[in-house]
Amino acid sequence: MAENAVDSKFIKERLAVLKGGRFKAWLEICANCAYCADSCFFYLANNKDPKFMPAYKIKETLGKLYKKNGDVTREELEKIADIAYGDCNGCRRCSLYCPFGIDIAVMIAAVRGICNSQGLAPEGLSTAAKNHLEFGNQMAITEEEFTETVEWMEEEYAEEMKGLEIPIDKKGAEMLYVLNAREVKYYPQDIGEAAMLFTVAGENWTMSKDAWDMTNLAMFAGDAKVMAHAVKIIYDAAEKLGVKWIGTSE
Amino acid sequence: MYEFVTGPLVWISFIIFFVGMTVKIVSLIRLAKEKDKVVFNHLDAGWSIRSIVFWLIPFGSRSMREKPVFTVISYTFHVCLLATPIFLLSHNILWDERWGISWWTLSESVTDYMTLIFLVAVVGLMGRRIILPEVRIVTRAYDYLLLLIAAAPFITGFLAYHQWGPYKAMLIIHVLCGEIMLIAIPFTKLSHMLLFFLTRAHIGSEMGRRREAKTW
Repeated sequence: MAENAVDSKFIKERLAVLKGGRFKAWLEICANCAYCADSCFFYLANNKDPKFMPAYKIKETLGKLYKKNGDVTREELEKIADIAYGDCNGCRRCSLYCPFGIDIAVMIAAVRGICNSQGLAPEGLSTAAKNHLEFGNQMAITEEEFTETVEWMEEEYAEEMKGLEIPIDKKGAEMLYVLNAREVKYYPQDIGEAAMLFTVAGENWTMSKDAWDMTNLAMFAGDAKVMAHAVKIIYDAAEKLGVKWIGTSE
Repeated sequence: MYEFVTGPLVWISFIIFFVGMTVKIVSLIRLAKEKDKVVFNHLDAGWSIRSIVFWLIPFGSRSMREKPVFTVISYTFHVCLLATPIFLLSHNILWDERWGISWWTLSESVTDYMTLIFLVAVVGLMGRRIILPEVRIVTRAYDYLLLLIAAAPFITGFLAYHQWGPYKAMLIIHVLCGEIMLIAIPFTKLSHMLLFFLTRAHIGSEMGRRREAKTW
């Protein structure tokens, strides 16, 4: 695909798939009442600039896409991506303030999916998604680096606490512990501290070298495939190890 | 002409309203069952009912409490819009004569005041669309048209009742305006009259049963 092209056929199909009962009802009944405005911190933090009120953001993104039935130019789609990624973080507060309970963030996520398909996701997010697919974590940490880091922490913290272990792929464990890739890369002591807690609590736990990153930046990018992959590898690992539950950090 | 607009045309508009809304709701639920499975796997009666009821009670939701003036205007608008035609004395006399059914009525002076209060609320809603930047930016001509469709039966009914202007013509226009509103409901944003219950049930369950958060 050329740099400046937009695959409007793909967008059209995507728009048709998206138009289920929810989207249809939401887009149809929004009364433009503006109850949503004051729920949005983007709106409040920008001196109540009406451009940041949630219903307007939908009109300018998903509304525009439906109105033009996917026939948008690259420039228009770039503008849409700016709003979908830059003016909304998908916190869903507006859906609590809407009299009809319209889930605006879900629609923004759908718009992100379309923008992502045309290569318009912010670089940080799309790189993270690519890493997740290749390495099973968003920071491109190899299996060797992960195992070394965990072993190093086990050694260090076993000196402080007798009997401390950081088990990897231990069959028969009750809990699979997953964490943020940042902890492995920048704050390994977090793993040691979690291990101290589990040791004191007498937990029968383990980590998996196949799936340990519980972050899902692909979700924020709007990449549904990688988003599902990130979740699936954790569940697969949990099933393989036969644990009863999955524990997450943060 | 009078016989026609108060006879067959009434039936036609009521049929369009009821059939239109039924088709709309059934097809939306069907479409949701096919495409929005997430709606049904967490649907919960308790959370749905609370989500609906708290949004029907005046100031029942945080959103309404944070915008008291708009809430009062919007509430008055909706109560008068529904209650005035249903409990109006002359409407009840009319359908008692035609179909032999009638129920409680409000005195004519009460409904007269309700009509005026309703029209003030309409002006309030329009003014809000013009004055407040966050409402103005999402307002289209269509929004004013909908307000006009809702207000027209009240304006013409008020004029007919007080016999200002040509009575007979005004009466026919009044009935026509009412019929236009009924017919418009299934095809416009006015369908929120019933779809409100569906979307609120969904978000109530979505936020409530999934994450124990209340939506009011």
